[in-house]
Amino acid sequence: MSLATRWARFRKSEGGSGLALVSPTAIYAILLLAAPLATILLFSVLTDGYLVVEPVFTFGNYIETWTNRIYRSVMMRSLGVSVAVTVLTVLLAYPVAYFVSFHVQPSKKSLWLFLITIPFWTSYLIRVFLWKVILGYNGVINSGLMATGIIDEPLTAISYNVQAFVVTLAHAYAPFAILPIYVVLEKIDRSLLEAGQDLGESKFRTFLRVTLPLSVPGIAAAVLIVFIPTIGDYVTPNLIGGGKIPMIANMIEVLMLVRDNKPLGAAIAVSAMAIVTAVSLLFLFTIRKYLRGQK
Amino acid sequence: MKIPVLRIYTIGYLIFLYAPILLLPLFAFNDSKVIAFPLSGFTTQWFAQMWADEQMFNSFKNSLIVAGSASVLATTFGVFAARASTRYNFPGKAGILGLIMLPLVLPEMIVAMSLLVVLLAVGVPLSIFTIILGHVLICTPFAVAILTSAFQSLDRSLEEAAYDLGETAWSTFRLIILPLVMPGIISSLLIAFTISLDEFIIAFFLGGNETTLSVYIFGQFRFPAKVPAIMALGTVLVCLSICLLTIAEYFRRRGIAKTGAKDTGGFL
Amino acid sequence: MNERPTMIEFQDVHKYYGDYHALRGINATIKAGEFFSLLGPSGCGKTTLLRTIAGFEEISSGAVLIDGKHMEGVPANQRPTNMVFQSYAIFPHLTVEENVGFGLRRERLAKDVLARRVGEALEMVGLKGYGARGAHALSGGQRQRVALARALILKPKVLLLDEPLSALDKKMREQMQVELIKLQRQVGITFILVTHDQEEALVMSDRIAVMFEGEIAQLADPETLYRRPNSRKVADFIGTMNFMPASVVSESGGRIEVDTQGFGRVEIDAAQAPGATTGNGTSIGFRPETLTVLFEGQVAADRECMATIEEVVYFGDMTYYDVRLDGMQTPVRISMRNVFGRPVLDIGTRTRVAWSPGALVLFR
Repeated sequence: MSLATRWARFRKSEGGSGLALVSPTAIYAILLLAAPLATILLFSVLTDGYLVVEPVFTFGNYIETWTNRIYRSVMMRSLGVSVAVTVLTVLLAYPVAYFVSFHVQPSKKSLWLFLITIPFWTSYLIRVFLWKVILGYNGVINSGLMATGIIDEPLTAISYNVQAFVVTLAHAYAPFAILPIYVVLEKIDRSLLEAGQDLGESKFRTFLRVTLPLSVPGIAAAVLIVFIPTIGDYVTPNLIGGGKIPMIANMIEVLMLVRDNKPLGAAIAVSAMAIVTAVSLLFLFTIRKYLRGQK
Repeated sequence: MKIPVLRIYTIGYLIFLYAPILLLPLFAFNDSKVIAFPLSGFTTQWFAQMWADEQMFNSFKNSLIVAGSASVLATTFGVFAARASTRYNFPGKAGILGLIMLPLVLPEMIVAMSLLVVLLAVGVPLSIFTIILGHVLICTPFAVAILTSAFQSLDRSLEEAAYDLGETAWSTFRLIILPLVMPGIISSLLIAFTISLDEFIIAFFLGGNETTLSVYIFGQFRFPAKVPAIMALGTVLVCLSICLLTIAEYFRRRGIAKTGAKDTGGFL
Repeated sequence: MNERPTMIEFQDVHKYYGDYHALRGINATIKAGEFFSLLGPSGCGKTTLLRTIAGFEEISSGAVLIDGKHMEGVPANQRPTNMVFQSYAIFPHLTVEENVGFGLRRERLAKDVLARRVGEALEMVGLKGYGARGAHALSGGQRQRVALARALILKPKVLLLDEPLSALDKKMREQMQVELIKLQRQVGITFILVTHDQEEALVMSDRIAVMFEGEIAQLADPETLYRRPNSRKVADFIGTMNFMPASVVSESGGRIEVDTQGFGRVEIDAAQAPGATTGNGTSIGFRPETLTVLFEGQVAADRECMATIEEVVYFGDMTYYDVRLDGMQTPVRISMRNVFGRPVLDIGTRTRVAWSPGALVLFR
């Protein structure tokens, strides 16, 4: 069989048609996503020169990233904020997803989900800024508490700091946590819960032994979808922290654009992604028992 | 009577979700340059100030161009990918779709920086065009997700039936598939539009001297005197988003009613 | 039947899905105007075979001919066949009229001609006056009728029906069986039905091809298929068949002498052994209704033997007896019509059983 007829046959086959159809999107993603990511990966092992990147192989950028105290502490801070945001968001979101799935009439579920998603679609920047207003030194909470005489001077524990980041991000990612959990809860066969109670368990014990384990895939999806993007948040530290408490994204910006040390910036970006991937995989590995046999 | 703990909790959570949005109009109509309580009086001057700002209109126009182009392109790419993934098996399917969906979980900063590095290296000047390139990248996964569910609810035998009744592959697509996934296409367009309109990081780093609305807003936050006008602008935007979302939700539900499927709710 | 021309011909049709051999050398002809069924368990290849006629599956080797023409390279939209899908595939965004008239679009008919033809088609399937309804508002039975009208309006040479009744409830299914037979006689088009329901196939078809694992095991009219199945497998799939170990004693001049466990030595006609030798051991088969549990004093028409009743299942109009014939280890089933005045016998009763050599089938 000649190459041409083989090609013609492949084009006509299912695999060929599928590839042809997906190719515009795939080529776009390869050119504008895969290639740039590969470039970052390449830059991270090259040497920084004046205004240019020297094609000289080095692990120096990674050594700098992992040994320099400043970079390390920023990375740890970002990781800490991400973990805190993830835990807080998922914990707060679960009961909401549970309520909508189990206690809302089927005809009204869409409306509740709609209500939950609306705030998410309004300007992210303005929302972040308003959290600064709410949590700030002269903010809504402090002035409210002072006006009612509960405190005498403004609380500083909630203003312009890491705690404020966590609250702001927990708000921003709320729908990302609620929706996957909700979807999984919806799929649970309600007769399983009746079976649980029929076998002598209380409602609460049935929740612990049946509902919760079955909803683990949703929780896992929620955790990953919140955890991974938050580590790269740029706006919150900038607007709420006034740029004084940088996180990874802010540091990458400085290195890449202000100090023009692209290889070091690339190494930090790659390291951040590596940490995120490692933590995510570790998380999935820990809960693998509950993910098995479900999809 | 049992206390509906969950219901009370959920309502409390909704208050948490809506807190910033509820404050927005308060400050937008508040007669004070300082964004803080107590409120001092009613005014519409911030709306007037916002309306008079030419820079705002300019960046708004840019945003519309970017969001319009990005949503159309992302939805077109989404149709290709969703159709391919629901209808065909092909070599490397998981990898290719994984790459297309990757921006969903990739921090935007990484997407922006890697694109910036390459664009600068290739020598593409930063402009609205480069923002569109980036926005298509991050909107496509959403389009693919929405359209995949639209294509999935399509019974394969409907296509075969049309084909069997004498239609060609193209006329089958036009007469059967397109009308049935149209609600999905419209909601994909609207959602991609909303995401692009709101997106900041890519617009900020890839825009060069051109500003979109979100970059303009970010810039204004540096000047406390300009903030009340931003509150006014925010109020207008919230109303606009709610309108767009309601339309999107309407089309989504109509699509479900049309194909007779069960409503599973939600966009994602 | 013999004067009818051939409509469809399969010539050594093979179909592979990767390594999976879905169709293994199908050879058969289907005549014009015939109601033909492809019957078999799920996964036997019957739907695949139907789809090779429609043009939805390309065959790996061999040939499919429709009305004498080779179908290789002819796409589904240019074949003289139309299909009623298992899910009916009613276009949900169109009305009943638009669904039925869908295939006429390319003929660019005048509005009134189109309306008349759609109206006729709807009347034919008993849906007169439903034209303006939305497709999503139809019941299962109505969808089925729309699907029929939509396919028949194009006057295809062959109508393909893929498990068309499987989604309906029992009552509706029986009603539609009768209607389909009438419809087929009325339009005179070749109908090819895929089904896993043997009763449905027996009721509706002129001829049936029984398929197992990608091969046609037997192709015959319903009566032959029921009375003279050519293998234990076919016999098992269609209705209930009792089996009894046996051995062939002699064979000559169109007669076969068989030694059976329960009936002793019997001489049967060679036509009562329609199958080829499989080497899976020899046995005699007979249907439950070919045996009769005799009353006191009732005389057998042919032969009789003694038996003990081991199980009684009462069905209202029928009673099933599981009886152990003297000399046999395992019981056989006998089905008896409950005639007025006749008692249902108890378990443990000794009774005489009437049987007939002509009702036996020999499997080798």
